[in-house]
Amino acid sequence: MSEGSSTEQPSRARHPRGGTFDFITGPWQRIPERVRGWLPLAIVLAIALLYPYMVSDLKSLSTIGDFFPELDSAVYILVFTMMALGLNIVVGYSGLLDLGYVAFYAAGAYTAGWLASGQFQQVSFHFGSVGIQRDTEGIHVSVWLVLLIAGSFTAIVGILIGLPTLRLRGDYLAIVTLGFGEIIPQVVRNGDSFGGFNVTNGTFGINPIDSPGFGDSLNDAVGLPVNFQQSFDKFRLFYWGILALLLITVFCSWRLRDSRLGRAWIAIREDETAAAAMGVPLMRTKTWAYAIGAFFGGVAGAYYASFKSGAFPSDFYFNISVFLLCMVILGGMGSIWGVLAGGLMLSWLNIQGLAVIGDKFNEASGRNFEIAKYQFGIYGTIIVLMMLFRPTGLIPERRRKRELEEGVHDETFFDVSH
Amino acid sequence: MAALLRRPRPRALDLIGFGFLGLLGIWLLVNLVKDPQRFFTVLLIGVTTGLVYALVALGYTLVYGILQLINFAHGDVFAFTGLFASTMILTVFDLTEQDSAAVIVLGLLGTLVAVVAFGATLNTVIERVAYHRLLRAPRLALLITAVGMSFIVQNVALAIYDVNFRRVPELIPRSDVFSIGGVHYQWNKLSVVLITIPVLLMLTWLVRSTRQGKGMRATAQDPDAAAMVGIDVNRTISFTFALAGGLAGVGGLLFLLQFNIRYDSGFELGLIAFTAAVLGGIGNLTGAVLGAVVIGLIQAFNEGLTWFTPGSDWTRSIIFGVLIAILVFRPQGILGEQVADRA
Amino acid sequence: MDDVLVVETLRKEFGGLIAVNDVDFTVPRESIVSLIGPNGAGKTTFFNMLTGMYPATSGRILFEGTDVTHKPPHAITALGVGRTFQNIRLFEQMTALENVLVGMHARLKGGIVTSIVGLPRVRREEREARKRARELLHFSGLRGRDDDLARNLPYGDQRRLEVARALATNPKLLLLDEPTAGMNPQETAAFTGFVGKLRSEEKLTVLLIEHDMRVVMGISDRVTVLDYGEKIAEGSPQEVQTDERVIEAYLGRGAA
Repeated sequence: MSEGSSTEQPSRARHPRGGTFDFITGPWQRIPERVRGWLPLAIVLAIALLYPYMVSDLKSLSTIGDFFPELDSAVYILVFTMMALGLNIVVGYSGLLDLGYVAFYAAGAYTAGWLASGQFQQVSFHFGSVGIQRDTEGIHVSVWLVLLIAGSFTAIVGILIGLPTLRLRGDYLAIVTLGFGEIIPQVVRNGDSFGGFNVTNGTFGINPIDSPGFGDSLNDAVGLPVNFQQSFDKFRLFYWGILALLLITVFCSWRLRDSRLGRAWIAIREDETAAAAMGVPLMRTKTWAYAIGAFFGGVAGAYYASFKSGAFPSDFYFNISVFLLCMVILGGMGSIWGVLAGGLMLSWLNIQGLAVIGDKFNEASGRNFEIAKYQFGIYGTIIVLMMLFRPTGLIPERRRKRELEEGVHDETFFDVSH
Repeated sequence: MAALLRRPRPRALDLIGFGFLGLLGIWLLVNLVKDPQRFFTVLLIGVTTGLVYALVALGYTLVYGILQLINFAHGDVFAFTGLFASTMILTVFDLTEQDSAAVIVLGLLGTLVAVVAFGATLNTVIERVAYHRLLRAPRLALLITAVGMSFIVQNVALAIYDVNFRRVPELIPRSDVFSIGGVHYQWNKLSVVLITIPVLLMLTWLVRSTRQGKGMRATAQDPDAAAMVGIDVNRTISFTFALAGGLAGVGGLLFLLQFNIRYDSGFELGLIAFTAAVLGGIGNLTGAVLGAVVIGLIQAFNEGLTWFTPGSDWTRSIIFGVLIAILVFRPQGILGEQVADRA
Repeated sequence: MDDVLVVETLRKEFGGLIAVNDVDFTVPRESIVSLIGPNGAGKTTFFNMLTGMYPATSGRILFEGTDVTHKPPHAITALGVGRTFQNIRLFEQMTALENVLVGMHARLKGGIVTSIVGLPRVRREEREARKRARELLHFSGLRGRDDDLARNLPYGDQRRLEVARALATNPKLLLLDEPTAGMNPQETAAFTGFVGKLRSEEKLTVLLIEHDMRVVMGISDRVTVLDYGEKIAEGSPQEVQTDERVIEAYLGRGAA
């Protein structure tokens, strides 16, 4: 993953007379190539890991302090960024315009609701549950295990949705996925009596939902927290938990991109007819894209439900799918760094940024403009502007190493897909 | 080189499809027998609403026929025109129920003209600003832009009209035009028919007989060939968008007179209208009208009948179900697609 | 000598238009056969049916004895039919090397979990695949361009890449659709030699659609002529060259 370093080498050639940033680029050149590639990643990772310790200090800074998210907002940001990465596999790698990703989010959340709460009062099944008494009703499976189950279940949902949809042309695929993205929340809303059986508890949602943890024995042995919710620094724990999940998602995305399947996805995105002619089985490969994208959405959804200790129908609506799409478009379709950037930025805007910016603006100008109300208009504008002027995204997928080294190229207007 | 998607059609799928239609027929029959007055009243409502949907469905089908683009923003344009119509009626013309019939009619006609112009302009602007540059771009890009555009239109409407529903006073009375054997049909519903039918006839004349219409049909079939015989393809595309927008405007006004509208009403209504277009056969104008009437009936039956009816909570899901079913079982719709073969 | 490809009364109708009209066709093993005919004769449609892209209206296609008439494209490729396209269809955002690697999709086994985890056997498979891909690129005349994006390659190299990619599918039968279009005489001569090499060194059977008569006459064991979807002549290059119907088809009546 050496995307960060690619621009450094030519810069010396491009500024022969010596530029203003030589004091940075000079030492930078001296770092060996192999280390240079990993440095940006290491720095970002370090910041991310240490953020919980820095939050209160950062927030107390004047003026810019308000821009830093609290840990609970940070959890939200990382959850949604993880989902954006999941969507990136479907839209970014494979070129399948999925407008119903929210269905996967919902499926994951409700799986957590089913397997880690008191929803099913009829039974009392415990498996690795932490922090609750053994005789509590409901199904209480260890949340870590639930994450895995939620991901798998959502992947199956993805495959089922894929069966009728994936053979359709691009536009129809978009609309039908939109349809599923609508139907599933509606099913969830009305699911309090499926033939008399309360599956989703209707509009009230399922709550509380258990939280992850490490249980008493590990607590006694190594001091790991018994149960996140019940811990003193619960937000930190949840934060690190989602950070770990996000890193796993990034890792998987990266490995898949350079694998046989990843190449097949991109080939399908570029020219699916040619891909088929080269031996790529279209339906199967597209279904895998759905399944894996869905998997990550499901895990993210389940984790977030556990964090919020609840899964409610009002959490799931069409706009979320477009919101996630905007992250992928803004960041760069198919680009991991890009989608990370797009995801972090837009989630932050959504949960905090717009409100803070709005407040600052109102303070400064004396007006009372509710910018957060128009956030979807902003996302829509971002999508349209990106498509018109920079369709490859902020951090384009392809490392432009060769092009930068060979000099100025006429950048074709559309390099996204053909 | 058109890549044809090959789908072997397993028999099971056909059986399921026919079985389902059979059950549907039985359900309708039982409802008819149990309460015939209600059935026919609901039927008339369905046809009327269907005609309004037809105006919007035509917009989708016209644009899809010529660009193979699902204009996601179209539903929101429709809602916006409805809101605009409310401004015309309430603020500009200041019509109330107390005004005389002549004033109301004139006011509504004025609104009609204004809203058609507004719809046409709005749609053309959208095309020029956003879609025009992407016509030669990969399909995915155009589609994504349409989604973005949809939100922009919605939010502009939000900025102007806020979150409240807008309604107009009962300018056309809800008294009965006729009442046969307990089946009622009101004036405000009849007005829909009275406006829609001439509009559809005009549209038919326009598409069949005028140069513009022929240009549209030619471009829809083969843009390159059309360009070669001297048709200004860009203007034709803009004209198509204007036409679609104008039709949406009529639909917006009629919808407003029946119900109420909000900045985000376009989402659901757009999906309903799009499903109608696909049901009838995308690209096929008659199909759009036919599909819309069928969808209107489905919605009316679902919300109006009483025996074993899912109810209005499930309307959205049912419509989507219809869409998915059509695309799986018979993607060319009832009357068959008429779309260019884009290599 | 057995036939790699046997086509029996193959027909393709598009609505009322008959694009391919009950054509019988065979391709003997390790031969080089050219399919020629005026524009619109149905040659590419014929190819598209052979590779499963268009469903045949009627007739049968047998490849190495297996009936492939209704098989999807990827299955036919897996059985051993590789192809290039008339209007180059490379994966533009991928490098030359990656394009060739896609061609190997059906021959590689790396799965999802094994790829993510990075099992040694998958790593080894990828290493060997890359090695073979570079060899194929080299063999096809592409030097030092492995990591260039396909869309940045010059035209001639793009055509070579298409061939390399098709070869990556490990074909027994290679279909080349107007491979020398846009090439100058030297390139064409080099390409003709290359096709010969494919047969002699790789033991491939090659079926070409060609317009350039020098290529056709120079390399073909057999030539088949299509016109309006029908086979109007078949035989050695010399026989076909002097056939009246062929001359008529190309030059019109009165020229024969």
